[in-house]
Amino acid sequence: MNLGIRAILYSARKWKKTLLVFFLLLAITTLVLSGLAIADAQEEQAEELRGVTGTSFTVERNLSTGGWTSGNGGSYSTQEFISDEMLQEIASVDGIAGYDASIVSMPYYFKETGDSVVTTGYTNSFYTYGSINTEYNDLFVSGRFELVEGSHITEDMTNGLIISRERAEQNGLKVGSKVVGINDPYTDDPEVDMEIVGIFEVVADKNDEATMYDASTMWDFSNYAFCSKTAMEAMCVNYGDGNKIQEADFYVTDAAQLESVINEVQSISSINWNNFIVTANDEVYQNISSSLSDTTALVTTLIIVITAVSMVLIILILSMSIRSRKRETGILLAVGIAKPAVILQYVLESLLIAVVAFPLAYLSSKQVAGTLGTLFGKAAENVIVTPEHFMLVAIVGGILLVAAVLVSSISTMRLKPKQILSQME
Amino acid sequence: MSIMEIKQVGYSYDNKKKVLKGVNAEMEQGKLYAILGPSGCGKTTLLSLIGGLDSPGSGQIYFDGQDIAKTGLSDHRKNHVAFIFQAYNLIDYLTPTENVSLTSKLPPLPILERLGLTKEESKRNVLKLSGGQQQRVAIARALASEAPVILADEPTGNLDEDTAQDITDILKESAHKMNKCVVVVTHSNELAKQADVVFRLRKGELQVLERVQDGAAQPQSRRNNAPRSERRAH
Repeated sequence: MNLGIRAILYSARKWKKTLLVFFLLLAITTLVLSGLAIADAQEEQAEELRGVTGTSFTVERNLSTGGWTSGNGGSYSTQEFISDEMLQEIASVDGIAGYDASIVSMPYYFKETGDSVVTTGYTNSFYTYGSINTEYNDLFVSGRFELVEGSHITEDMTNGLIISRERAEQNGLKVGSKVVGINDPYTDDPEVDMEIVGIFEVVADKNDEATMYDASTMWDFSNYAFCSKTAMEAMCVNYGDGNKIQEADFYVTDAAQLESVINEVQSISSINWNNFIVTANDEVYQNISSSLSDTTALVTTLIIVITAVSMVLIILILSMSIRSRKRETGILLAVGIAKPAVILQYVLESLLIAVVAFPLAYLSSKQVAGTLGTLFGKAAENVIVTPEHFMLVAIVGGILLVAAVLVSSISTMRLKPKQILSQME
Repeated sequence: MSIMEIKQVGYSYDNKKKVLKGVNAEMEQGKLYAILGPSGCGKTTLLSLIGGLDSPGSGQIYFDGQDIAKTGLSDHRKNHVAFIFQAYNLIDYLTPTENVSLTSKLPPLPILERLGLTKEESKRNVLKLSGGQQQRVAIARALASEAPVILADEPTGNLDEDTAQDITDILKESAHKMNKCVVVVTHSNELAKQADVVFRLRKGELQVLERVQDGAAQPQSRRNNAPRSERRAH
């Protein structure tokens, strides 16, 4: 009779012991699978949070290391400006989701009829960002503005304009309307043709002055506008350095990687970093990261504790089971069955149970993982037990099970058959 | 021609109490050997050494001229010897037929039927059989293994007189008709009387008490038949 048949007969005829180990394995595997799913949901949530915290770094001219000059009734820094090549080079670093750099001015806009596009201010000028990519403009990233119609201004757009819903409604403008922009209509500044590509809504609380008004400009947010950087450069062509980029914001895909991304950026040798300052903007992430890492640590610890306690429990039960089979071991050895064949029979018995328990645990964990996840503040639908979790648990669980049987068998197998049998007498 | 040869075998428990001191013996196929001796004198230990369940502290044990320590004890247990224990030592989750099949590829039922078990009994759980029936299963397992040497440790110790005689007859038949070398450790004078050769283990030494020619039963020596008190007086 081979060991496979012996293993099957033992599992079937000692069904109470088999059921005990089966239910134990089922419970442990279900818990571990659920734990892994919760840990993944936690990681996903953390990643998502890291991605949406608007973590960025700003590259700006270092005025303290540049020279100064005077003219037009004031003094000006001669420090180099941020070039388009610099922007491209920095943006190509891995981990950067996008960037924006803008030139700010206060131009006027005119409808096709020649009428001025009016504002609620003392003049009809708009506080305008000549932006490369408005999606990454701080006002949109921070959530103070929300694009509600049309599209954002992108790098390949040359004459796009985005205005607020209030100004659009007040002036009868919509996405697709044509306007003409002039930086200062009282001079010979050029007229630049533009098209409204998007409408934004001010989300910031209108009663909260701190968020409703730009502290530095005191402009009403509804009188803000965004135009393509190319269009702004065209409008400001008469203003020398006024149409050059002084600073740019780069957003990272993972807030946790901000430091390493900045390090990589600062290792770009073609940029003279003596002329620029890099500042990290990760206040929001810093505020949530400690609570994120606390929850992650809690989930990880729980999984480790559950797995460790479970393994100890399994080893104890298998150890007790194998000790109770000392007599059988002695008999099998006495009738000439080799030690490896006896151990292999015990291993096979455990694996036979695992073959049934593991897939059932996969199914049961799909049911309970969501419920358990809610205890850790996760939405049940986000806690998903995947086939990868199952494979991991099946392989590691199988190895641990074999190890548990081997460890449990050591004390018996070190004895000679006579010692085992005489202990039984 | 001896199949088992024991040469100068010594054994001690924990390297202190010496139970076997230079034991020598030769055993042939077709004979029933009985080993007598007081409790704790080392009879079972000697049987275990012959069967490869343990290794001697000194000396050698040969099977068919080869040192079993060199050919491997596990191989010796698997191919050369079969055990019958006083406590039967059957695997409790297997039926009699499955217990017999542990060591043999022969069909188990004819052997079990020859030893007096019915077909129905052969398919029961072994724990539901009587002591005598369990011992018959143990003997069937030993016989089915086709090992030339059968080692029996107190095979009739737990059985009533009639069943004990049945078992003794089976062992005799195994030796004389199946050409096995049957070595029995026993306290039973009845069994010893029917052995071809009777050894006595005393103070770690093995002595041949009687040699019976042609398997015919001979009266045992008076020393062994004498009451315990009388034996002490010698």
